[in-house]
Amino acid sequence: MYRGREGQWAFVLHRLSGVALALYLLLHVLDISLVMYGPEGPFNTFLAFYHQWPFRVGLILVMAAVVYHAFNGLRIILMDFTDWGTKYHRQLWYGVLGATTVVGIPVLLKVVPEILGVGHGG
Amino acid sequence: MAVKPRTLREAQTTYSTNSELAWWVFMRVSGLALIFLVFGHVFFNNLAFNAGEIDYTYVARRFSRSWVKVYDTFLLGFAMLHGVNGLRYSIEDYVREPGRRFWAKVALYTVVGVLLVLGTMTLWAFSYEEMGDAVRAL
Repeated sequence: MYRGREGQWAFVLHRLSGVALALYLLLHVLDISLVMYGPEGPFNTFLAFYHQWPFRVGLILVMAAVVYHAFNGLRIILMDFTDWGTKYHRQLWYGVLGATTVVGIPVLLKVVPEILGVGHGG
Repeated sequence: MAVKPRTLREAQTTYSTNSELAWWVFMRVSGLALIFLVFGHVFFNNLAFNAGEIDYTYVARRFSRSWVKVYDTFLLGFAMLHGVNGLRYSIEDYVREPGRRFWAKVALYTVVGVLLVLGTMTLWAFSYEEMGDAVRAL
C-alpha cells in the first residue's frame, strides 16, 4: 500500500531536499560571513569561485529543492490539520509536483541564459 | 518523576508539555514562515538580480540596510532551527547505534551553534557603511 507509491516518494524527496537544504544553509552562512573581513578580505575571491558554472547549476538544484520542500511542506500541513488532507494525499502530491514545475520554468528561463552568458549584459 | 505512566491516558497527561510536540508544532509554524522568507530571499538575490554578479559591494549594500538585517535575522533563526531539527530527525532515523547517535548530535549542535553566532555577528556586528557614499549610491 505504502512502499514504492506516491506517499513514499513524497517522503523520500522531502527528506533528501531537506537534508540537502540544511547542509547548503550551513555552507551559505559560513561563506556569507566572510563579508566581515571587509572589501579587501577573501569574500570576492570565494564568490568568484562560486560563480563557476557547476556551482550555478548547483544553485538551480538548491532552488528546486526549496520549491519542492515548500510545496510538499504545505501538503504535510494540510494532511495534519484538515480532515480531508490524508484522503487526497496522492492528488495533493501531484499538485506539489505540478506547482514545483510551474514555479521552476520561469526560474530556469531567467537563470540558464545567465549561466550560458547570453543574459542581459552578462 | 516518581511513578512512570502505565496507561496511554496517564502518558498523555504526564507528557502534555512534551518537547517533541513543541518541535512538531514548530516545524509546521516555522515551515509556513520560511516559505515566504525563503521565496523572498531567492527572489531578491537570484531572480531580481543575477546571482553570478554578486560581490562584496552587493552584500555590503544589503547588510547596511536595517530591514535586511531584521529580515535576515528571522530567516537565519527560523532556517537554522528548522534545519537542525530536520537533521536531528534524520540522525535518529539512520544512526541507530547509541554512541554514534550521541556524537552525531553533539557534532550537529556544535556546528549549528557556531554558525548561528557567526551569522548573527555577520548581520549585526558591522554597519557595512565603511565604503560610505560608494555603497549608498548603488
